[in-house]
Amino acid sequence: MLGFLTARQAGLDDPLRLRRAESTRRVLSLTLNPDREVDRIHGNAINTIDIEVIEGRYMLSGGADGVIVIYDLENYSGKTQYTCKAVCTVGRSNRYVHKFSVETVQWYPHDTGMFVSSSFDKTMKVWDTETLKPAEVFEFEDNVYSHHLSPIARKHSLIAVGTKDPKIQLCDLKSGSRIQVLQGHRAEVLSVRWSPRHEHILATASADSKVKVWDVRRASGCLFTLDQHNGDKTKAASEAVNTAHNGRVNGLCFTADGLHLLTTGTDDRMRLWNSATGENTLVNYGKVSNGSRKRLQFTVSRGCSPELVFVPCESSVAVYAVHTGALVTMLRGHYNNVDCCEFHPDYQELYTGGKDCNILAWIPVLRASDVEEESKSQMSTLPFRLPCEEEMTS
Amino acid sequence: MNRKRALISDTFKVKKRRNGTQKFGAVNDGDGPTDVRSSLEYLMTLFPRKLFDDRLPPIVMKHQLYSVHDDKTLVDKELNKLRERGELLMFQLGFDSDAFGLVFASDYKTKVLAGEDGRPTRATVERFLEKLLCPCTELSFSKDKMLREFLFTDSEITHLVKSGVLTVRDAGSWWLSIPNSGKFTKYFLQGRKAVLGMVKKSKYSEVLKAELEERRTTSHVKFHMKYHIHDIVGAELVESIPTTSGALLRCVES
Repeated sequence: MLGFLTARQAGLDDPLRLRRAESTRRVLSLTLNPDREVDRIHGNAINTIDIEVIEGRYMLSGGADGVIVIYDLENYSGKTQYTCKAVCTVGRSNRYVHKFSVETVQWYPHDTGMFVSSSFDKTMKVWDTETLKPAEVFEFEDNVYSHHLSPIARKHSLIAVGTKDPKIQLCDLKSGSRIQVLQGHRAEVLSVRWSPRHEHILATASADSKVKVWDVRRASGCLFTLDQHNGDKTKAASEAVNTAHNGRVNGLCFTADGLHLLTTGTDDRMRLWNSATGENTLVNYGKVSNGSRKRLQFTVSRGCSPELVFVPCESSVAVYAVHTGALVTMLRGHYNNVDCCEFHPDYQELYTGGKDCNILAWIPVLRASDVEEESKSQMSTLPFRLPCEEEMTS
Repeated sequence: MNRKRALISDTFKVKKRRNGTQKFGAVNDGDGPTDVRSSLEYLMTLFPRKLFDDRLPPIVMKHQLYSVHDDKTLVDKELNKLRERGELLMFQLGFDSDAFGLVFASDYKTKVLAGEDGRPTRATVERFLEKLLCPCTELSFSKDKMLREFLFTDSEITHLVKSGVLTVRDAGSWWLSIPNSGKFTKYFLQGRKAVLGMVKKSKYSEVLKAELEERRTTSHVKFHMKYHIHDIVGAELVESIPTTSGALLRCVES
């Protein structure tokens, strides 16, 4: 570590190198910490969480009872022991609360004045954070599984919505109407995701085992369908041709640079795809248990090398290296199935929510010397440092 | 958390290695290059030739290699290289869309031709094998391909199916297969079920690998115990946990 700092100081190394090395070290040491807790408001399973992009301070969570809670993640108390307090709640007593479970919540990508939530009560509501009243309600014919707003869009403000209907709807925030329908899937659409690299590219995953990538400017159809055998029709049984998985595809996540796409399916597999060509990179993650009938929210780390993907597997979260497929570790702590997880890139923290009504915060372990310095300031005299306490890594 | 020591990223790894640290329970240390070919040859020795009267070439399942080597992606890449060189053949065995059988090309050729000795279909099969072994990395063939590229007639295709080299996949396409492999699949699945049952019935559903290898096998288990253990570990039906007394196999709840 000292080597990195000196090299950075002298200008021998790029500043990014030190940052990457330290981020990776922190991500590899994620653990549950008794000092950090998230307020328990939900009385039911937590289906979705989202951390806002602008400051990384506020977190939204949506539960199976229709309740939406906003938490403040910043610790301004000055003490190490901190509970992330709920700032406001859209509870059961609110007039406009969703009638059934909230499946997806997302902050408006450009500021925290607005957030969008979609639910099994066949509506998608655009809320005003200040007043906690919906500014807009979109109604659908079927349960809404997932929606997503593009995080980088400047030219459009479309929300892609995946419902039980095989057609994907694009709703416009500016005009408040449904302006486009993307046809192509044959069964319910479980997950939709905009690319973080190109604002017009959308990926959708469906229960018919297919993942399609669309350019919304194109009227004719999808750009391509992901094929797990890369066009080698001889590998699979003839029904499985052109499918991304051998079961329902219920999770989609782009890597931070948008060059790769990760998909998970109920065939207990996770696959990594090149998002430009649709080619299966054939990275083998082994068995990634997945029994979810709805969308699975998983996330990729940002700013580390190697990048790690955090996938909820039953009641623990599996951490894999994205490009090699090696299992790094399993994060165990929940009492029941984990449904969603979200990575906080500035502090390298992971927040996971599950059926046990808890949101757990996984914090990087502090370096040993920090703990030692605190004890030094508490004790008045310490003649010499024992060699075993010195840092082993340098 | 299940880690005894904290994870260290590669950039921070301590350069000095202490002498004499033994890694318990591990079969391979990850330093040397993964030699997939020698592990294949080792697993082939576990295959019981006598059981099938020497009519079958030694078959290894692809996921058995995952229990020997840590990095699955690397194993897959090496296997593809061997297949492209024409040394190895991969078969879809039919009981699981993910289970692939591997046979060395030379073994396959000798056994198939030995099986065809004296039969009128021998010439067709020989021709097919020649076309196949100039590196063919496909698992199935469509009628189109057989007629145009390989220049086989319909009656010749029927001969090939009769001799067991091709198996019906759907109307107009066939899987590449190993003749007389039905018995292999039957014994394999029977044995896998029996060994899994042995692990499940143990106290806490876990058993030391060394102890399992020592146990007396019932008549259902016809293959070598090690063959089945590699299979269930590689297919992730049991978890292999390193302990101070050796590797422990624990049933994965599903």
